[in-house]
Amino acid sequence: MIEIKLVVNEKPYNLNVEPSERLIDALRNRLGLLGTKEGCGEGECGACTIIMDGKTVNSCLVLAAQANGSVLTTIEGVGNRRSPHPVQKAFVEVGAVQCGFCTPGMVLSAKNLLDKNSHPSESEIGVAMSGNLCRCTGYDKILRAVKIAAEEGKQ
Amino acid sequence: MKKRGIGLGCSWYGTGYGNGFPDVSSAFVEIHDDGSATVLTGAVDVGQGSNSIFAQIVAEELGLEAQDICVYSGDTDATPDSGTTAATRQTYNTGNAVLKAVRQAKSSLLVYAAREFSCPTSEGIELKEGYIGVKGDPSRRVPLADLVFQARLRGERFISAESSTARSTPVDPETGQGAPYWPYSFGCQSAEVEVDTETGVVQVLKVVAVHDVGKALNPTQVEGQIAGGVTQGIGYALLEELELNEGKIKNPAFSSYLIPTALDVPNIEAFFVEDAESTGPFGAKGLGEPAMLPTVAAIINAIDDAVGVRITSIPATPEKILKALAEKNGEVKKH
Ligand code: FES
Ligand code: FES
Repeated sequence: MIEIKLVVNEKPYNLNVEPSERLIDALRNRLGLLGTKEGCGEGECGACTIIMDGKTVNSCLVLAAQANGSVLTTIEGVGNRRSPHPVQKAFVEVGAVQCGFCTPGMVLSAKNLLDKNSHPSESEIGVAMSGNLCRCTGYDKILRAVKIAAEEGKQ
Repeated sequence: MKKRGIGLGCSWYGTGYGNGFPDVSSAFVEIHDDGSATVLTGAVDVGQGSNSIFAQIVAEELGLEAQDICVYSGDTDATPDSGTTAATRQTYNTGNAVLKAVRQAKSSLLVYAAREFSCPTSEGIELKEGYIGVKGDPSRRVPLADLVFQARLRGERFISAESSTARSTPVDPETGQGAPYWPYSFGCQSAEVEVDTETGVVQVLKVVAVHDVGKALNPTQVEGQIAGGVTQGIGYALLEELELNEGKIKNPAFSSYLIPTALDVPNIEAFFVEDAESTGPFGAKGLGEPAMLPTVAAIINAIDDAVGVRITSIPATPEKILKALAEKNGEVKKH
């Protein structure tokens, strides 16, 4: 076991993890943060997207031990029912959620884009969201929701 | 060189299990004394939005808001069987069962209310905006919750269980005659593509999709299903190739079985036509699978329009397109 320290959604944790343990498993099984989804487990779908030190990563491809000393944001750290993040509000408004499996990853990719670039162009939005696969929505409403959230941020 | 073309695809699609197979959905409904209602069905909402549809159907019948309705679904411990979420059948089939069930629970409520309001027939009673009262006389109405609460104290309950069976017959193997599906769903789409004649890569620039949904019970969901269907259709037409080796899938990964990403989808314009289906709940019928079908034909036709080659097996990969272009150019030379 390896001892690691990390900050998840603004809370500090000390964890003992297996050397081969993936970050997604540490988040889901040790911290009970089930909002992060595992789709493919091989870095292709983006369902497991989280923000690690200001960058989006596929948490299925990161070892928990690699996250030692990092600051992480999972979907549980992005707004809630009472005060949703502008991206979440826009998703609900336009109906960008169908089965919802891709949604946590989509929201984190969108949030990270807007944190870095509050005035993204349409093609910047497309590129930022292209690492997250969605089988239900055809992306149409998702891209529209990100645009709305970006516009709201501008005001 | 990059060449553009436009193609059209049309589809008709029989929804439900069809061919005489018993296509049954069931629902339980209870109207509560707090002015809400519960509906139980076995229909599983996988994201297409059937739970919202059932809440809307019950709310519409009872003059309530959709958020007043509690939907329990897909729990084999508690809910009645409503068949699979497949065959584009939940809005139509289970929607019909829910509508029958809420109408039945409502009919005993109306009889009770007619007595309370000294109305000669329950046809004189209406449910609107959370109230129940005498039609056309706003002074004689009470909140639905009050009436149901009072009824409850007198031992009255407004509960129902109903099933709905879609009508279809097997096809006669001798004559090919029969009515294998009901209802049918119709759609038409056009696609504009750009084909790179050097690389064989096809980029879909725009898709316009029009679908007959009978009645759009939830327009946002209709748009979402059309956009999702078109995107699956783009994958079906251009990207998704399931490779088998002795029955085993050779490419069971998103790195080798490609589905469209946010960068592969064009501008999708979704329209719907509302030609009420008389046997459907409030005129509605299904849209799930039909939304992806015309896309394939529209794209293949657009490729033909752009570069004059007929692709006869999907997906229309760059390799197939380059091969077809080479064959076509070879033929031209021969003449
Ligand atoms: S689960 Fe990590 S990318 Fe698919
Ligand atoms: S909503 Fe189902 S995968 Fe995106």
